[in-house]
Amino acid sequence: MSSAALAPPRSRRPRARVLIAVAPGLLLTLLALTGPLFAPRTVDSPVTAPYAPPGKDALLGGDQLGRDVLSRMLHGGSALIGSALVVAVLVTALAAVLGCFAVLTPVLGRLVERSADVAILLPPVLGMMLIALAWPGGGRLAVMAAATVLGVPYAVRVVASAAAPVAASGFVEAATAGGERLWHLALREILPNLRSTVLALFGLRFVAAVYVISMAGFLQLGPQPPAADWALMIRENAPGALLNPWAVVAPSIAIGLLAVSVNLAADALTPAARREP
Amino acid sequence: MSEAAIEGAEAAAAPAAASALRRSLRAVGRTGVVLAKRALMLAVLLAVVFAAIELLPGDAASATSERGESAADTAARRRLLGLDRPVWERFPDWMTALPTGDLGTSARGEHVTDLLAAPFPNTLLLGATAFAVTLAAALALGCWAALRPGGTADRIVGFASGIALALPEFVVSIGLLLVLSLWTGWLPAVTLTAPDGSPASWTMLVMPVLALTVPQIGWNARIVRGALADQAAAPHVAAARLDGLSPRRVLLRHALPGAWPAIATGAATSTGMLLGGAVVVETLFNYPGLGTVLSGAVADRDTPVIAGVVACTGAVISLVLLCADLVRARTLGARP
Repeated sequence: MSSAALAPPRSRRPRARVLIAVAPGLLLTLLALTGPLFAPRTVDSPVTAPYAPPGKDALLGGDQLGRDVLSRMLHGGSALIGSALVVAVLVTALAAVLGCFAVLTPVLGRLVERSADVAILLPPVLGMMLIALAWPGGGRLAVMAAATVLGVPYAVRVVASAAAPVAASGFVEAATAGGERLWHLALREILPNLRSTVLALFGLRFVAAVYVISMAGFLQLGPQPPAADWALMIRENAPGALLNPWAVVAPSIAIGLLAVSVNLAADALTPAARREP
Repeated sequence: MSEAAIEGAEAAAAPAAASALRRSLRAVGRTGVVLAKRALMLAVLLAVVFAAIELLPGDAASATSERGESAADTAARRRLLGLDRPVWERFPDWMTALPTGDLGTSARGEHVTDLLAAPFPNTLLLGATAFAVTLAAALALGCWAALRPGGTADRIVGFASGIALALPEFVVSIGLLLVLSLWTGWLPAVTLTAPDGSPASWTMLVMPVLALTVPQIGWNARIVRGALADQAAAPHVAAARLDGLSPRRVLLRHALPGAWPAIATGAATSTGMLLGGAVVVETLFNYPGLGTVLSGAVADRDTPVIAGVVACTGAVISLVLLCADLVRARTLGARP
């Protein structure tokens, strides 16, 4: 029995449409990861006057210290996207494993439910601040740890609810009766049937990670000033938005495009039956 | 009317009154259980937050130390702030003082309640306005989209909400700031405060509220649309449609009542995002709310202030979740 057998077959989307929806996100991610190779200048040397408007030297003008906005843009996305990817992978993997165990052990299942209920009372920004301040000098690592810890409770609940029907199905009962160990039941019998749920969850966790990590960057909790980071650029250059709007607009557009394209991709990965009547 | 008939009527009325009383008692009991559950969860959250701050290195006494302060001075202040006492003594003290409105003393020796007294209502005003706007707009858009499933409106709302819900609040803020303030000059870019510490004019609320609501409207419109779609498949709604009632009437009188629990739960989960987003948006618009207090507290590692903010926001979110629980209980009745 597989996940395709659990869901009606017509709910599957044509592969081509999924590819089209995923393409912008992938393209933008690739562009951000390879961006540093194309940067015309270094990120930390001033080349223009502070907040200089776009000109021959700097296509997008200068920032608050006269550094080239375009070069900082090309450098500033890779760490943001990279850490969001790591967080999304970590949260999804932890949630997938924990969710499969939770559905087999009622005590763990109740614990998961309650911890998700408690976690919802803590706004992500506050949780982020707590962990970042409890770990001074943690920088991006602290932000990634915070995003992972805050993301897991809810994600486990999603996996557990998808795993519940699988755990109740005949082949798992047969394996239980056959005396298989708990880890075998969870990881070899249940987990392989949750591919589509886990894939959709990964997409959603990536969206959430981009949101949380860029917000932490904006609040100056993660990367520290000399570093080039889209979210941090918005914060640093906001006072000069009237002199050189591009120093603020370009990173805003970049984060907006990233968030939207990743969300469209995540939408396409979500099983269609859940969203449409 | 004969005597016997009156007696009979009274005898019939007594059990009816008793059962009504029992029903209302049961409703009060259910509300009490839900309330106790939410309060317990809030207490657990505060315990976790307190423990997390304790377990990690550094404390408020060393973070607020002045340049050139000796280790003995820092130790003295640690004693003054009570930080030398074990955490299992300090946490119950702090928790039992909470119901009296005492949130403890900050690392700089001020009462946390006084520190939060002015900014918290401001943030609450911002959050509540944003919540009302979000709910109204999401309901309107969701219903509009659900009137003709698969129609132009449905597709536009679906696509736009998919874009809006992904945007971080500060990106929306930058867009609004540039368009509505710097280029057109319609709205003030920075919040000025009146002498009493509140925003000087309502125009200063417009952009922060818009920045907060845009992503949440996207999220909630989608939930409303989804809940209405689920209801449209229900037998009683199909029957109403087959009876030839107008689509608007079917939607508002037959589908929407059943969709309330899902909508309420969705809106309740938005509360945390609105309050968290408010902290970010406040820094950008210089709005006199919790965001300013928090950034100072983070720099000082001021545990009591942060725990106080967590307690306040947690209480607000618990309250909204409680309302959602009650809406669900009311709609579903005795059904599980």
